Order: sequence, then structure tokens, then C-alpha cells
Amino acid sequence: MSAPVLRPSFGRTMFASLRLSLHMFLADPQWVIPSTIAPVMFALAAFEIYRGSGPLLILYAVLGAGMMSMWGQTIYGSGWAIWQDREFGTLEPTLGSPSSYLGVIGGRVIWNALSGLLGGAIVVLVVGVAYGQPLPFQAPIVFGLLFAFVILSLAAVGLVLASIFVYTRYAGFIQNVGEFAFYIGTGAMFPVILLPFWVTPFSLVFPPTWVIDALRYASIPGYHGFAWGFTGDIVGAVVTTALYVGIAASVFRRVERHVLEVGNLDEY
Amino acid sequence: MTTPSAPALRPGWLRVLRTNAEIAPKTTLGFMRFDFILGMVFILPFLQMVFFAYVAGLAGNPQASVAYVVLGNAVATVTYASIFSVAQTTDSEKQQGTMEFLLVSPSQRGALYLGRGVVPVLLSLATLGAALSYAVFVFHVPITWGAVLPAIISVALTAGAMVGFGLLLGGVALYLRTSIILGNIFLFCGLLLSGVNFPVSYLPFPLQVAGELFPLTWGVAAVRAAVDGAGISTLAFYWGMTALEGVVSYVLAMGLWHVFEERARSTGSIVRF
Repeated sequence: MSAPVLRPSFGRTMFASLRLSLHMFLADPQWVIPSTIAPVMFALAAFEIYRGSGPLLILYAVLGAGMMSMWGQTIYGSGWAIWQDREFGTLEPTLGSPSSYLGVIGGRVIWNALSGLLGGAIVVLVVGVAYGQPLPFQAPIVFGLLFAFVILSLAAVGLVLASIFVYTRYAGFIQNVGEFAFYIGTGAMFPVILLPFWVTPFSLVFPPTWVIDALRYASIPGYHGFAWGFTGDIVGAVVTTALYVGIAASVFRRVERHVLEVGNLDEY
Repeated sequence: MTTPSAPALRPGWLRVLRTNAEIAPKTTLGFMRFDFILGMVFILPFLQMVFFAYVAGLAGNPQASVAYVVLGNAVATVTYASIFSVAQTTDSEKQQGTMEFLLVSPSQRGALYLGRGVVPVLLSLATLGAALSYAVFVFHVPITWGAVLPAIISVALTAGAMVGFGLLLGGVALYLRTSIILGNIFLFCGLLLSGVNFPVSYLPFPLQVAGELFPLTWGVAAVRAAVDGAGISTLAFYWGMTALEGVVSYVLAMGLWHVFEERARSTGSIVRF
């Protein structure tokens, strides 16, 4: 008679992973710098370009760079975690353990999302100091809530990408090349409607596109983004984020089962 | 009775240079990977230029026009190949466990470190070539035939000087846990301090001075001057400043490597990263 398999709960796995991520960050906190330096520099560069064009464009720089900071932390954190597992040789044992791998990744993504939120706040603070006067937000409370929702939508994208990263050694390539493509495609620093028309359907696939447009509707007086307006943006953001989370959960289970059955994880 | 010691086998300077130029890209730089070259030389420069072109287009600032921003970013993309990658060689040596052997080898240090710069210089040239081609053929930055040769000279000097700066950061990284932070700082500082996206006159005076210590600033100015058809005296000044900062970077890099190498050997702390 075989002993029953001890399988820790999903929540417990996620919490343990979150705690481990926090400890690893505290042991080596340098990672907050790359995810903050680049967006701060981008924000200040955009700030200088926009400065002569009125206060409302300053908000584009703030919103865009805040999103970029959160994206940097989320996507780099997710990709880095898989790469680190491969380097340390812990990917196979983690996948082979009875704990849910989605729970493990989920804990890491939550930590990255929290630290990304911190990075986003730092960007807003730095641009605010450079601006020298209060940033002209139309509805600061709605802005704060939507800002937090951006990180949720980014975490959803990060989860899906992390599941893909299990199957590839090109995570670094996808991160590096995908970073600017993502900033352009989601309209981080400028409205998506400025891009060629054929780009819009691709942009709408990503939840942050909807949230950033909603953020601009809420923050910038007289903003003209997508025709469906603020409410449509919110509905689109919620639906696409839910879809991403669902896809990530499904893909992770399939990936986990597939590599365990075939035993070829080393090939990737 | 004394035993005669064997003569130290010391390979020639050129041989060390050539060997390190061939081996380093394959081992520590990871340069021979298809995805690395595809992304760094052809895709990243284009996407960075598109991003800032849209930002400039929305702003409508005549001093930071689309053409101005596109040209600046075309030159700035050299930092990926020159600074980040070169500085990371130190990390790779430490992580792969080859640093200790390197530091006790009898090879000439100058040839050893300069050899690492050979392929990055070529890749920097390729990156700059691709980026400037995008600027001219995709973003329609105007350039005359007469400006092509001065632009090529400016690009070559910028690539060489920036790799020297990357080697300097690699020297500093010998003492640090990782070069990634340094690489990131200087990778993105260029966007702010070097007149890439807006004239440096927008910056406070101390930041303007800081920017002038960075070879990219002079490289960007040289390429802009060449494309604008500036006179030879203006070009010579920018070329001179770019070359000077490149030489200073190489000299400082060699000095730093020497200092940290001595320190590492005397304390035995090189593997502490």
C-alpha cells in the first residue's frame, strides 16, 4: 500500500513562494534598481520632451513611466525566476514536487507586482519633484485605484509569459525585444490611436492597453482615447485580465503535466 | 646546489590579443548567439527609435523634433553592444570560475583586456550602421552624400570610445558583485545626459558637465554635426573629444584592472561576489 501523496494547498504554496521571493530580494535587493532606473530615465527624458507642450502631456510621461516600471519588474521578475531555476538546477525538482507550479510562480509574480508598484510610485515621485509643482491629476483617488489595477493586469500578462518561458531558453531575448514592443503596442507614453490602424487589434489583446487608456480618461481633462470611453476601458480591462489569468492557469497545468509525462524539460 | 628554474612561458602580445578576441565572444560575451545579434543589432534599435519618435511626435517640440530624437537614439543604441555587454564579461568570468585562472596567467593584461573589445567594437559598428540606416530610410532623416564619410568617421570613433567605457565599467565590476547595475545606470543615463532626446542645454549645469564626461555625448554631437553638414573644424573638435574620452577610458580601464587585480591577489577575495 503506497503512502498518500502529501500535496500542500495552493494558497500555502503561493505564500511560501512569496515569502521566499521576499527573502531573496532582501538578500540581494539590487533588482529594484534596474526596474526603477530605466523607467525613471525614460520618464525624465519624456518629461523634458513634453515639458514645453503643456502640463497635460507631463501626465503622459508620469503614467507611461509608472507603467513601464511595473512592467519591468513584472516581466523581468517572471522571466528571471524561470532562468534562475534553470541556472540553480531547481526547475526540475520544483516541477517534480507535489506543490502546484502555478502556485510557485503565482507567489513570485505577486511579489514582483508589489515591488513593481513601489517602483511605479518612485517614478511618479521623481517626475513630480522634477516638475516642481503638484502634478495636475484630475481625480487622484481614481488614479491611485487604477494604478494598482495596472499592476494586476501586468501580473496577468507576466503569468502567461512565465508559462511560455518554461518551454524556451530565449526568455532573455523575449524580454529585451518585447519590452519596447510592449511599450509601443500598449501606448505607454502616447495614445494607441496614434499608431497605424492595424496595430490596434494587437494592442487590445493586452490588458494594460485598456487600463492605461482608462487611467488617461480619469486623469487627463479632455483626453480623447478609444471611442468606447472610460467605462468601456474598464470592462475591457477586467475581461482581458480575467482571460489572461484563466489562460495562465490552464497553460501552466498543461505545461506541468506535459514536462512531467515526457521528461524532456532539459531540452528547452 | 641551486636548481635552475624553468623559463616562464609568456605568449606574445598579439597572440594573446587575437586569442582573447576570438574566445571571449564565444564564452563570456555570449555574442555568437543568433537571438542576441538579431535583437541587439536589428530589432532593439528600431523599436527604441519608434518609441521615442512617437513621443516626440506627440510633444511637437521643435527643439526635440522627430528627426532629432530618431538620430539621437540611433547613436544611443550603441550602448547595448558596447557598455552592457562588455561590462558583463567580468560577471561571466566570475560565475564560470575562470577569473582566478585569468588573474594568475602570465598573459599580458593589456592584450587580454583589449582583445575583449574587438568583437564588441565590430558589433557596435553594426548596431550603429543598422540604426542610422533606419533613421535615413525609415524615418527619412535628411543626409547628403557629402555627409556620409564624416558620419562614418563619427560612428567609428563613437563605437571605439564606448567600448573603452564598457571596459572601464568591467574593471569597476571586478570589485562589485555584479556589473548589471552599473550597466543599467550608464545605459539609460545616456538617454538623459547625452543630448539623445533633447538638447543638453535643457539640463541643469552640473548635469551638463556630468554628461560631457560620457563619450556618448560627444559621439551623438559628432554624428549630428556630420549629418547637418558641419564644417571640418566643428567636426574635428567633436572627433577629438570622442577620441580623447575613448583613450582616457581605455587607460583608466587598464589602471583599474591592475589595481583590483593586485587587491584580489593580496586578499584572495576575488571569488567573493
